[in-house]
Amino acid sequence: MIAGHNLIAAIRNLRFRNVPVQWLFTLGLSVLLVMLPFAVPLGGRPHADGLQFLGRFHPLLVHLPIGMLVLLPLLELAGTTRLALREAAGFVLLLTLATGAITFVFGILLAYGSGVMGATVTRHMWGGIALLVELMLCVAVRPAWVSGQLHRIYPSLLALTLLTLTWTAHQGGSLTHGSDYLTRYMPGPLKKLFPSASAASDAAYVGSVYARHIHPILDAKCVSCHGASKEQAGLRLDFYELLMKGGRDGAVIAPRNPDRSLLLQRVTLSPSDRHFMPAEGRTPLTTDEIAALRAWILAGASPTTASIPGSSTARENADLPLQPVGDYSYLMNEIRQMQSSESAKLVAVSAMPSDGLILRTNDLSSKFDDAQLARFQRFAPFIVEAELGRTAVTDACFDTLSKFSNLRALHLEGTGVTGQALAKLSPLSQLTYLNLSGTKVTSDALAPLKGMLNLRHIYLFDTPAEPASTSTNRSTP
Amino acid sequence: MKQHPLCTDCENPVTPLDLPIPAGLKREWAAVETRRRFLGRSGKVLGWAALAGLFGELGLRSYANGADINSVSAEGRNSLGLPHFAPKAKRAIYLFMSGGPPQMDLFDYKPNLASQFNKDMPDSVRGNQQLTGMTAGQAHFPVAPSHWPFGQHGETGAWVSSLLPYTARIVDDLTIIKTTNTDAINHEPAIMLMNTGNMNAGKPCLGSWLAYGLGSMNDNLPTFIVLQTKTNPKENNQPLSSRLWSSGFLSSEYAGVGLRSGADPVLYLADPAGVDRDVRREMLDTVEQINRQTLAEVGDRETNARIAQYEMAFRMQSSVPELTDLSKEPQSTWDLYGPEAKQPGTFAYNCLLARRMAERGVRFTQIYKRGWDVHGDVVGVLPTLSQETDRGAYALVTDLKRRGLLDDTLVIWAGEFGRTVYSQGGLTQDNYGRDHHPRCFTTWMAGGGVRPGITYGETDEYSYNVVKDPVHVRDFNATILHCLGIDHSKFTYKFQGLDQKLTSPVPAQVVQGLLA
Repeated sequence: MIAGHNLIAAIRNLRFRNVPVQWLFTLGLSVLLVMLPFAVPLGGRPHADGLQFLGRFHPLLVHLPIGMLVLLPLLELAGTTRLALREAAGFVLLLTLATGAITFVFGILLAYGSGVMGATVTRHMWGGIALLVELMLCVAVRPAWVSGQLHRIYPSLLALTLLTLTWTAHQGGSLTHGSDYLTRYMPGPLKKLFPSASAASDAAYVGSVYARHIHPILDAKCVSCHGASKEQAGLRLDFYELLMKGGRDGAVIAPRNPDRSLLLQRVTLSPSDRHFMPAEGRTPLTTDEIAALRAWILAGASPTTASIPGSSTARENADLPLQPVGDYSYLMNEIRQMQSSESAKLVAVSAMPSDGLILRTNDLSSKFDDAQLARFQRFAPFIVEAELGRTAVTDACFDTLSKFSNLRALHLEGTGVTGQALAKLSPLSQLTYLNLSGTKVTSDALAPLKGMLNLRHIYLFDTPAEPASTSTNRSTP
Repeated sequence: MKQHPLCTDCENPVTPLDLPIPAGLKREWAAVETRRRFLGRSGKVLGWAALAGLFGELGLRSYANGADINSVSAEGRNSLGLPHFAPKAKRAIYLFMSGGPPQMDLFDYKPNLASQFNKDMPDSVRGNQQLTGMTAGQAHFPVAPSHWPFGQHGETGAWVSSLLPYTARIVDDLTIIKTTNTDAINHEPAIMLMNTGNMNAGKPCLGSWLAYGLGSMNDNLPTFIVLQTKTNPKENNQPLSSRLWSSGFLSSEYAGVGLRSGADPVLYLADPAGVDRDVRREMLDTVEQINRQTLAEVGDRETNARIAQYEMAFRMQSSVPELTDLSKEPQSTWDLYGPEAKQPGTFAYNCLLARRMAERGVRFTQIYKRGWDVHGDVVGVLPTLSQETDRGAYALVTDLKRRGLLDDTLVIWAGEFGRTVYSQGGLTQDNYGRDHHPRCFTTWMAGGGVRPGITYGETDEYSYNVVKDPVHVRDFNATILHCLGIDHSKFTYKFQGLDQKLTSPVPAQVVQGLLA
């Protein structure tokens, strides 16, 4: 609260346009602010509940200064034509600083009281400090700008403040909603620009129950608070080793003993219990998820075990959400012709055009060849499934197929392909299903497919590449 | 209007009937008035009739031009807006166990029943349920525990009876539903309800709805094919009728096409001696001309169906022999399906055909196996029934899976109801009978759209009532439609003034717990 008083005093001083005093205040306060994290370290240890009670108003209050700060450049711009608005801008700036300072204090109370720690929290706090310092500088230089001196400093300072605001707000958003809140439902092409943080977890345990079932649960429900960004209670659940290490209260997993595993106790409490997890009204674990955790702990909580008798193996083949392919309506006349002609047909996956088209050759099968396939190149981006089983296509078909950029499923069973050109499929990032049953494909020819992570269903029945077991259903998460 | 000076009530003018005249005169007047009205009216009616005729003729012409709403062309199919969403399964194979398999002898494991042997089932379990005429008169309802041991199988540890050693191998791919339940307790209404969503005849069956809504994937084969398994005279075979694969009020081209189990799968399909394919084509073209004339004159949409069926038969002349020619099947097929699959008409043979149809784009295949109506001698008959069907079902799912077809094929295994835990007739140490039971029975699905490796729902200690997660036939059918990309509540057809649907007027729900 002292900081708040100082600020009010500072603001009062500003009224007197006593420039040296004002600068002194700004400087002094800035130093104090920068010192603050060292005086009150975020150690991951919770403190008095009263602090937290006040602190929890931080996410509530924070939007007030944000709103005013965003309003500010608009007012300044409008102020070039209407003087009254420029005067208003000055008032709004002071108000932003005042409410920002209060919000900052509440934020510190929240972090200190609840005992969070971690990279994102720290970044968020430094962002807050930077914002306050920048706002004070704005207040200090603005009078000069208004009176026609120092043309450039105030606008560039304001722009910097807005940038800082964006960054800080993003850190805050990541804390409340999880770091992949913005990227999770991003369309595929955009997603490639943002390598997902959660994807890089425990690569060593691919295919295990932990990787397929347990990690996704923790990742979805727990890691936003118990992860690299927050480390609430000193506990991180984003890696197997950290999960087993536990947090400040000791180990959270007791292998073979679900009832004594703190993690399971906390998620199965009554939701009204103050120790219930996930805290703060976040989505609780479903009964299925709890059952999966329990079964895994009961079986020894091993990171490598590949199956647990008696538990459901469901959803491991759950497919990727369908990527919209765009609207093919403008090609509808040609598609209709295809549908009514004697040739292969283009069939809508569903009534939603964005679900794409299926290339269907059942009516022709043996008469459909590479040349006919090439005629469909015009519809390439909209074809999500190509049913070429038992047709006369050869290795040359991959030249055309490589242009089917949204292809999800490719049926080549019983065709003459030898697999020599399978590498040409590698640009097809959406491809999840490839049926090569009954072809002459060898296991060597399959090597280029190894890098295609989405390609989870490869069928090689009755081929030279067929492994000892009859079916090959590669399950790569 | 100007008021008559003598009239006091304009709304109800005075008629001769109000006059103080003899009643006989009044009657005469009323008769005259009616006759006059009749003539006047009939003139108008005739006018309307003539007009309707004019419009009707226009309507007929549009029929003749092929704009028939019922026979959905490739273009018209778009107007149905189907599938409503991207489907997980493109096709379905329905293994129908006619007669009602006893769930507690196959899937619904009740270990505690052993101690209840020959004890009367508590009245509280049965409640006030009305039983069939076959056991309603029984003084006692002695509990008959299953004669066969159960074991846990697969990664998922699902319980399966020792009667089904092959099915036990694929439990990780199955979605076993222990709580399917129906409204009917006798065969005909129950089997109709299961197939058409209604106990009364006249409604289209599941396959016809799919054929109508989703259309063909291969113009050379029927969209909906029915295969019957040869009956075993030692079993209690309930009759099947074409009502079960009827298209009801939908055009008859959506009805199931039955393939016979003999050497000639479709009778009279082959050209007779001396008629080659060109002659046949010419004949069909002429017949079609005549049919089109008839259509133009009469406007019966069934004529359209007839034209389509002639054409289908022509194409089937080459596609069906190819379909049923198993000579190119590799040895691995026979290793999987077993030697029985080489005999046409066995369940295993039909399962193999179903796989070949799935490959060739048949939308819906239904295989009927009769004989599950085990009222008596369960211990004698059930092993035969299980042996006849177990390997075929296993082989079908396994074969589809290894060939990559299970990803988009939904396999369904179901009967029309289950059987009672109490014995029908005498219960001895080593034999018993079981009566019909609609309140719970076990079914399974596998493949596109359903969640593999789960056992859904719970029944009580006696496998008599559903304790948790019931799946009514309507919900069952709604879930099947969902896997095929159809919202059952939106998939309707206007008939008799109602928006008819497979899931009937009582609200049905897709069972989310069954979905992948």
